Amino acid sequence: MSEKKGLMRFLAEYDRRIIYLLIFVVVIGPLLSPFILPISVSPDTQAYYNVIDKLGPNDIVMVVFDTEFSGFMELQSGILASMRVMIEKGAKMVIAVSHPEATGIPELVLNQLADVISRKQYTYGKDYVYLGYIFPNEAAVAATAQDFHGAVRQDYYGKSIEGTLLDKVKDWSSWSLISDYTTGIQSQALINHYGLRGTPMIVNCIGVMVATQKPYVSSGIYKALLQSMRGGAELEYLIGVPGPGLTAMNSFTLGHYVLIIFIVLGNIGYFGYTRYKQKPTGG
Amino acid sequence: MSAFFRSKEIQLAILILSFLAVFIPYFLNIPSDHPLNVFSTKLILIAGITNAFTLALAVYSQFRRGLSFVRRRARGYIFKIYMMTAIILMLIFWTMGETTGPYHWVMYAIITPLSSVNYSILVFYMASTGARAFRARNAKALLLLITGFVVLLYQAPLTGAIFPAINPLGLYFGNTFAMAAGRMFLISVTVGAIVFGVRVLMGKETQVLGFGSEKE
Repeated sequence: MSEKKGLMRFLAEYDRRIIYLLIFVVVIGPLLSPFILPISVSPDTQAYYNVIDKLGPNDIVMVVFDTEFSGFMELQSGILASMRVMIEKGAKMVIAVSHPEATGIPELVLNQLADVISRKQYTYGKDYVYLGYIFPNEAAVAATAQDFHGAVRQDYYGKSIEGTLLDKVKDWSSWSLISDYTTGIQSQALINHYGLRGTPMIVNCIGVMVATQKPYVSSGIYKALLQSMRGGAELEYLIGVPGPGLTAMNSFTLGHYVLIIFIVLGNIGYFGYTRYKQKPTGG
Repeated sequence: MSAFFRSKEIQLAILILSFLAVFIPYFLNIPSDHPLNVFSTKLILIAGITNAFTLALAVYSQFRRGLSFVRRRARGYIFKIYMMTAIILMLIFWTMGETTGPYHWVMYAIITPLSSVNYSILVFYMASTGARAFRARNAKALLLLITGFVVLLYQAPLTGAIFPAINPLGLYFGNTFAMAAGRMFLISVTVGAIVFGVRVLMGKETQVLGFGSEKE
């Protein structure tokens, strides 16, 4: 009887470092020896894929890295898979960032896409341009929406944007699509000055933002929403190119299961020990 | 002359005119070469550039605060020294170019891993808190717990692959309860922002102009 009580007490009051250790093991383990578990594809990811799959060589897409480096870790699978599809389709890309930390991200991403860039002979200036940190605040976003060349004169490397694909861009109506990868820095500004005026938008956001971003899909401002790293992994699965998303999904899955197990065990301990202890003894 | 520009009424008038210059072209379909639209675009650009200078203000404020910590030898002052040294070094490196050299190296070799660790370490705290806080203490908590289980199972990609029935259930929770909460949040924030904006234009929130607090 006391052994049972001891077990219940352990389940109710276990050291939190046990959770840390187990989470560490289930996250690191699958990353060290990757294996691909099957995953299901959500309708949201399918809708997102359908939007980027329709792009063609005449489309100009504004790719916005609206994230710090920390958020990039969660969004990189969606970024890599989406940009791979855009390059495959021959769509033109203009890359902008809205956080100083994000200025290093485009080069990392483009290096990882070197194979498809080389195969499709995707050329800087003609097919893509990197503008750097051009969205420090909402006013900057608004300025580019009203008169792009009035607000932006040179690219990240300090070269003039004249003579590049940006010659075709005038204001918000010139863009075929805005592809925003966001932790929420300037996403509202992009909605206000591009989305609400009619520029089509697709968004890949971090997990905690999903509930607040979904209403924009149902209202039609976003054409589609890619949800967090899970959505990125599903997109990798759809395009048949495994990347960081699918690799991380094993840790993702096991981490969720470990959390569920701990919640169940904690509740067993709660009913078997804590609640029993809290009951008034009477008399 | 300076007293004239510092008066509350004049600042409020400038605020209202600036608001109208941006508001009217945004909502009325005015051609882009119309003088009002040209003025509006210039005004927005000036606001954007002025706003970007807040970065310089942030650096100045951090130094003032950091130096105050160091002078008082307050707890954690060593970290303030570290921070100020890092800012000075980054400013020096920045003058050597953003795309190559030491600035580039610091971005990739120091900021990238630190920022990633800062974010990923949250998983331990969130898992621990989730595991210890979710207790079926009453009927409402039990409902929350069941919903949480369904969403967690749905979020784990393997579950949907081996047990497809979880997908519609997870989507249902996301598209109904979570969406309702999201909409409520967005509507309340937007209504609050509109009310605040109207109050500013009516001169009832003069703190934004630097006139201290005013009570109704």
